[in-house]
Amino acid sequence: MKRIFRQNEIYVFFIMIILMIVITGFNRYFFTLENFFDLLRGHSFEGILAIGFFMVLLSGGIDVSFTAVAVVGMYLGVMTVVKTGINNIWLAIAVAVFVGLILGAINAVFIGVFKIPTLITTLGTLTAYQGALMSYLQATHQTVISNPPQSVINFGKAVLFRIERPDGKILELSIFSLIFIGITIITWLILKYTTLGRSIKALGGNMEAARRAGINILGTQFFIYCYVGALAGIAGLMLGSYLRYVDPLYLVGNELTIIAAVVLGGASIMGGRGTIIGTVLGISVITIINTSLVLMKIPSYFQQAVIGGIIVISVSITAYRQKLRERQTRVLDVT
Amino acid sequence: MIYKNKKVFSLLIITVAAFILMSILEPTVFLTLRNFQSMTVQIPEFGLLALGIMICMLTGGIDLSVVATANLAAITAAIIMTKFAGAESGANLTVTLTVIALSIFAAFIVGIICGFINGMLVTRLGITPILATLGTMGLFGGLGVIITKGKGIVGFPPQFLIIGTAHPLAIPLVLYIFLGVVLILGVVLNRTMFGFNIYMIGANPLAACFSGININNVLVRVYMSSGLLAGIAAILMIARVNSARSGYAATFLLPAVLVCVLGGVNPSGGFGNLTGIVLALSLLQILQSGFNILGSSSFFKNVIWGAMLLIVMVINYFGDRYARRGIERRPAKS
Repeated sequence: MKRIFRQNEIYVFFIMIILMIVITGFNRYFFTLENFFDLLRGHSFEGILAIGFFMVLLSGGIDVSFTAVAVVGMYLGVMTVVKTGINNIWLAIAVAVFVGLILGAINAVFIGVFKIPTLITTLGTLTAYQGALMSYLQATHQTVISNPPQSVINFGKAVLFRIERPDGKILELSIFSLIFIGITIITWLILKYTTLGRSIKALGGNMEAARRAGINILGTQFFIYCYVGALAGIAGLMLGSYLRYVDPLYLVGNELTIIAAVVLGGASIMGGRGTIIGTVLGISVITIINTSLVLMKIPSYFQQAVIGGIIVISVSITAYRQKLRERQTRVLDVT
Repeated sequence: MIYKNKKVFSLLIITVAAFILMSILEPTVFLTLRNFQSMTVQIPEFGLLALGIMICMLTGGIDLSVVATANLAAITAAIIMTKFAGAESGANLTVTLTVIALSIFAAFIVGIICGFINGMLVTRLGITPILATLGTMGLFGGLGVIITKGKGIVGFPPQFLIIGTAHPLAIPLVLYIFLGVVLILGVVLNRTMFGFNIYMIGANPLAACFSGININNVLVRVYMSSGLLAGIAAILMIARVNSARSGYAATFLLPAVLVCVLGGVNPSGGFGNLTGIVLALSLLQILQSGFNILGSSSFFKNVIWGAMLLIVMVINYFGDRYARRGIERRPAKS
């Protein structure tokens, strides 16, 4: 029991429960299966982005370019389907993932080979990737794809199962939930049971120690950034087919929401610490706040301040508890 | 020392090269007084935000909330001005000038308070700067949205707008202000105890602690200075565009970090100087104006900025490796 309370996730979990109770008090609609299924459908892509970002954070890096990768993957994926006329969602997915892998590999080259700090690299590639896509589109006089092909729309509408309630309401669980849960489990398995996962954690804990332990740092970094790129590609395509509208200006600029969610879930920004459960809880809390202020009849212009406030409070609590713990076991550490 | 200067030197060469390239490609438009005026009008507000991030970066931290702080300060000043000396209020000249002075002062105070909050979160609670300022970015920005309900505030007295439009000696007034701030900051960083402590904390916090520096005190003052710089940027901002709105210039944040890094500031602290920042600002502005004149897409500058950052870092990497190889070889010779 004591061990449970020492973990950060339990606090995030409590925050989520309290939020749910409060919101349900304001509006009964919140605590319905329809709402949860809707939330899952509309925000699974954010969850996938958060899981990718979590993996980078765990390895001691920061990747802010994932939104640009997602947008480029989304646009090129849908455009390939439009241009080739092959109306198949698998082609779009393959292109989006491939683009993500390539862009992620470019990040990894700068980070692993040239040893440029991760934040700087991805800051540069964030502006460059989106700028490249936009200048290409402007040069060829293309804009948003407002009527994507049928296969893409169908992907957004695909459901796992459908329940017809006695009162005539139809419940549908989107295929997006399956993708999100699948990616969560795969990432968890990689981190928990493979040497690769251990290497990623070791990298975040202490790079020099990891090197001396004989871990292939360059290879691990290539895996991390390519994996994140591929996840971003999938997430981008999911967003495009959910909205049925492919806008290259969408998403970029919202990196901080995802970062906030991952950090809220207790992942250390210095790397090496954090759990995937925490990340899922973190993105859930942020999503609930983002979508439910309207349900609570709070004007939408309060949203930004509320999220900012919650981030400040949650990181304050974590930092303060850390400080207390250090005070209990204080030693003079002269390194 | 050589390490630091080499970075600035390679940046200087790139800047000069970009300038010459643009002059050759478009001599009739690029090399005109009007172009230089429009270029120099855009640098200051952006530059002040970059300076705010820079001083935090020197201590090994970062201030992501500069843009949000600037917006909050701008909104405060704008509300005071439009309420007591708006364009239609008919207040006489003395009252108007007093109100303008007060609102500018209020913007500075708001900036300093925001910085103080950041400083407290970083020192007293021990939150990593990137997280603390990420949270306050949302908080300050959100406060601005709540105050204005998301609308823009317009209608400033004409006397205030002079700050953004005056061109004494054909040079924009805002550039004088910016250079003045750079000069003062240069003196503070290089000639005072406070400046020395900033570099010391960034280079080695433990050593700084053991040499009797009150780290928390210095850090709080650093974040307050960053807030003040954002407050000054706020005034220049609303004087130029004649409106205050939360969310304005939100796209400046990442480029401002980029300027710092491009200018040779080490994100983990301890290294970086103002010459580098000013050079990086000039380089970006030259490229941006140049590509505008060449008629390329407005997004192409993003590609250039991102590529520039990575190229400079790769050059530095090879420069570092070359320098280190020289050091490693030397003992073998003797």
